[in-house]
This record gives sequence, structure tokens and C-alpha cells, in this order.
Amino acid sequence: MNVLVTGATTPWGRAVVEHLLAAPQVGHVLAVGAEHVGTGLPSDGPRFHYAQADLTRPRAVRDLLYGPARSCGIDRVLHGALHRAAGDRGDRIHAINVEATRLLVQGCVRQPEIRRFVLRSGGEVYAPRADEPNLIDEDHALVFDPGAPQWLRDRVEADLLTCAQIASPDLAICVLRCAEVLGPGTGSQLWDYLGSRVCLRPLGFDPMINVLSVDDALDAVVHALRSDARGVFNIPGFDTLPLSGLIALAGRRDVAVPGPLLAPLYRLRTRTVGFEFRYDLNLGRFHTGGILDGERARAALGYQPRHPARCLAAALAA
Amino acid sequence: MPMTMTLRPAAELRGFHDAGHGFDVFGLHPPTLRRTLALGGRLCDRYFRTRSHGAENIPADGPAILVANHGGALPIDAALVVLDVDRATGRIVRPIADRFIPALPLISTWFARTGAVVGTRANVAHLLGRGELIAIWPEGAAGIAKPARDRYQMRTWQVGHAELAIRHRAPVIPVAILGSEEAWPVLGRIRAFHRFGAPFLPLPALPFPLPIRHAIHYGAPIALHDGLGPGAADDPCVIAHAASRVRLALAALLADARQTRAGRLW
Repeated sequence: MNVLVTGATTPWGRAVVEHLLAAPQVGHVLAVGAEHVGTGLPSDGPRFHYAQADLTRPRAVRDLLYGPARSCGIDRVLHGALHRAAGDRGDRIHAINVEATRLLVQGCVRQPEIRRFVLRSGGEVYAPRADEPNLIDEDHALVFDPGAPQWLRDRVEADLLTCAQIASPDLAICVLRCAEVLGPGTGSQLWDYLGSRVCLRPLGFDPMINVLSVDDALDAVVHALRSDARGVFNIPGFDTLPLSGLIALAGRRDVAVPGPLLAPLYRLRTRTVGFEFRYDLNLGRFHTGGILDGERARAALGYQPRHPARCLAAALAA
Repeated sequence: MPMTMTLRPAAELRGFHDAGHGFDVFGLHPPTLRRTLALGGRLCDRYFRTRSHGAENIPADGPAILVANHGGALPIDAALVVLDVDRATGRIVRPIADRFIPALPLISTWFARTGAVVGTRANVAHLLGRGELIAIWPEGAAGIAKPARDRYQMRTWQVGHAELAIRHRAPVIPVAILGSEEAWPVLGRIRAFHRFGAPFLPLPALPFPLPIRHAIHYGAPIALHDGLGPGAADDPCVIAHAASRVRLALAALLADARQTRAGRLW
């Protein structure tokens, strides 16, 4: 299989490219980024090519799919180029998150050589509900709150407009709703949260949290690209533990604070220190938790989490 | 049989599925459950003097559903069943809790650590799918805070347990709990209290439960799925009929148990 990877210049994108190039079943990798030069990516060679494209522009997407993608024999597309900074907002961010996804998936539906489209979405699209905690399957309610931050609304919109094309007869579309990837540069809210020496959590609540290691996320992507299964699949990680346990694993100090104080405290922290963690984005899971049920991915894609995030947390502690 | 046997160590808890850090995906933590059972065991033996009958009806393994009557200002009956089943069989019981529980600070965490699970479809399907023993109180929150005149009368009866039993082909064991509906009489319900999503706040007549002698009777397992196809779990008539079978079985078990009961206080 020959794979086109969007968002290739991000740390996650670079990891995907490396992983795909190491996989024997992958022939050619076409990495796509917004930058002119693919910094940190391998040099162009017989199995790898880098292309610069602004995916928010229809012409650029068409040129990409009928130009470099066709000449590289691309038959599978992995789209994961979503804006990572939770605090950023505006039309440009919306275009990167939503319009680019719309243009790309519609372009792939029309391009006859592309047979597979995989969107890397996230478990954050599920609406956390106090009366439906614990296991979250693929039919769980999504966030449709107009007051939700743009970071979240954009992700739900991108996820849903991809889902809207799932019935396309010639393109097998797969949406991976991944648990949070605990790793640097992945846009992980939890990674940023654990970056602080003191981690505040709501008094009286210690929900179960599931985290996905980068290695398992990469495995899930390869399983999804290799398979022809259509639909939405939850991708949970290996580690499920209480929030207090995760904080302890990272070697941080756990301080329980009355819930209403947490949002203003973390807002103050963002303004003064500049961290990305936003409590309003995490309020639901920090109170009631929510673990993605990966049964469908196990049955249809053959994905099973195997890599504990323990070592990552230890790296963070170091 | 009196409940005065020793508690099993945490390592011997059967049916625990470690999610990798000593907790299962629902938050059950065996050492916390052990400590809670050890503390509750003393109260159960000395204060409520609970006796257990028919525990041999509980399957040694595989999915099963305990269905019991509910009463009292607080769910003491649920704690007694968890303790009794642990002592009799070593199996962990997963009490199915009402949906407002996760919103309660401290209580939500304590319930989760001791095995309670909120009764969503995905949660219960997961538990039964991996062969766990669950306990359901079909009277729901309405069972708690029943007026004294309604004790041992099952006024409300939700049918979800019957659907689950048929869908997952799990036997239902009726459980009659004597004592809990008398130990902590309730004066009424404060319906205006909806904090944390609770349907009401029970107003107990006493600040603590009376030392009423408790008894737990396990009835013969009922295979609701016998003779039914896989589509039967979606048929409301089948479900309603199956649920009423369980209700009648439990009512008969309660009536028998009350007749053979020694005494309330002594």
C-alpha cells in the first residue's frame, strides 16, 4: 500500500512517517505539510516524498490528489492534520480543522485510485455525561454544545463530515476516535496538565482515565490503513488508571481542590505561564471519567493496545 | 447460616479484571473493597446479625444477575449482599447504581472503588460479557425511602434486568433481603432536593438504623432465556413477561422468608 500522510511536519506526523517507512507492507509514503521544507522528515527517496500543500484551498487539494498522489500511486490517505493549540481560535483555525478535512475527504471520494481514507479523530468528541460514565462505545452522544470551545467544536465537525461520507461506495472510510495520546507535541491536554509540578484535581472525584501511548496509536493507524473495514472505531490505550494514579506515575504532586475553583486557577496559569491545558475542556472527564470501549476496533481492525504509557510518564517525571 | 466466616484476602477475590494498575476499567480497587468489607463485616455481624440462606444458588462462575428488593434510607442492603456473596462464594458482586451517583463527590469514588457500576447499557453488557456477577434493585431509587406501610411491597419494577438476562443468557437469582426495609424508617422524601441530580432526599425518622436482625435468602436461579431466540431481548412483551416472572418469584421468596423469620430484634 502507498500512503499519503497529512500533518507530516508535526511530531505525530513525523512519528507516523517513520513508522510507515519501517512497515514492510508500506510501499511509498507521501508526506504532506504546510511548510515548504519537511523539517525532521527523511530526504526524498525511492519510498518517500514530501509535498507542500495548503489543504484549506480547494485547488491545492486537487493538485495534490491528482499530482504527487497519483504519480506516487497513493491508494490510502491518513488525515490527522488538526490544529493542536487548544487556546487558538478564528477562521483560519476552523479552515485547518474543518475545511481541510471536508476538501480532502471529498477529493478522495472523487479520485478513483484512492481506496481508503482514515481520519485520526479523538475521544474528546464524545460528550462527557455524569449519568453515563465508564465505558463509551461508538454510539455515545457527541458534543453538540454551541458554547463548547472552538478546539472541540471543530473536531466534532471534522469527525462528523467524514462520517457523512462513510457510505461512499468506492472509498472505504474509517474514523479512529483515539484515546488521548500521552506524548510531547501531540496536542495532548493531559501531557500539558502533567507538565506542572503540582496537579490540581476536583475534590471528591478521582475518575478513571485511559491514555494511549504513541506506539499503540501508530499500531492502530497501520491496522486501520491495512484493513478495509468502514465505520467509526474507538482506539483505547493500554493504561487505565485513576487520575490520582496518573499524577503519581508522572511524579507530580496531587492536590484536590473544590471543583469550581479549578477553571479560574487553570485560566490564571494559562495567562501567566502560557500552558495549553484548559480545565473547561476537561471538566467532564475530570469529574466522571470515561473509557473508550475498543471492542469494535479489536474485532474489525485487529487492534489491541500493547504498549503501556508507563515509560512515557516516567520520561515526563524525569 | 450466620455470616461470621473470615474475609478472603484481596488476592483471592474472584472475577477481578485488572486494567493494568490494580484497578479495573470501572474503578474497582480490591484493597479498598477488602477494607470496606472488613469494616462492614463487623457491623453486619454484631449490629444487624445477618443470616444467609441458599447461597448455593449463586453460580460459581459465569454471568449471573442477582435481583433483590430495596429499602431503607441508605442502600445498606446492597452492602450486605456484596459482603454475604463474598463470604459465601468469593465472587465479587457488581452492584448496579443509579445514574445520579457519579455526580456525588466522594461517594462516587468510594462506590466505584468498591465495585458499584452505573447501570448504562455499555457498562452492564461489558460486565456480563466477561462473566461477572451483577446485582440489580429493579425498584430503583423509589425503593429507597419507601414508607413503612409499603415495606416488602414492590411498587415500582423496572424491566431492564429481564432484557439483560435474555440478551446475555444469564440466570437471574431472586434475593429476598429481610430487615433493610424496617431498620431505617423514613418519614418522607424531600422532592425539592435535586442537587447532584438526585431524584429526592430521604428524610429518615432516626439518625441511625435500628439494630434489626437481617436475613438474606437466595432463590433458585431462573433461566429467562430458555426457549427464547436472540431477538427476544428486543420484544417489549417478552421483556415485561420475564420481568413479572422475576417479581413474582421474589415476592414468593419474601413471603416464605418472612414466615420463617425468627424475630426482628432478638
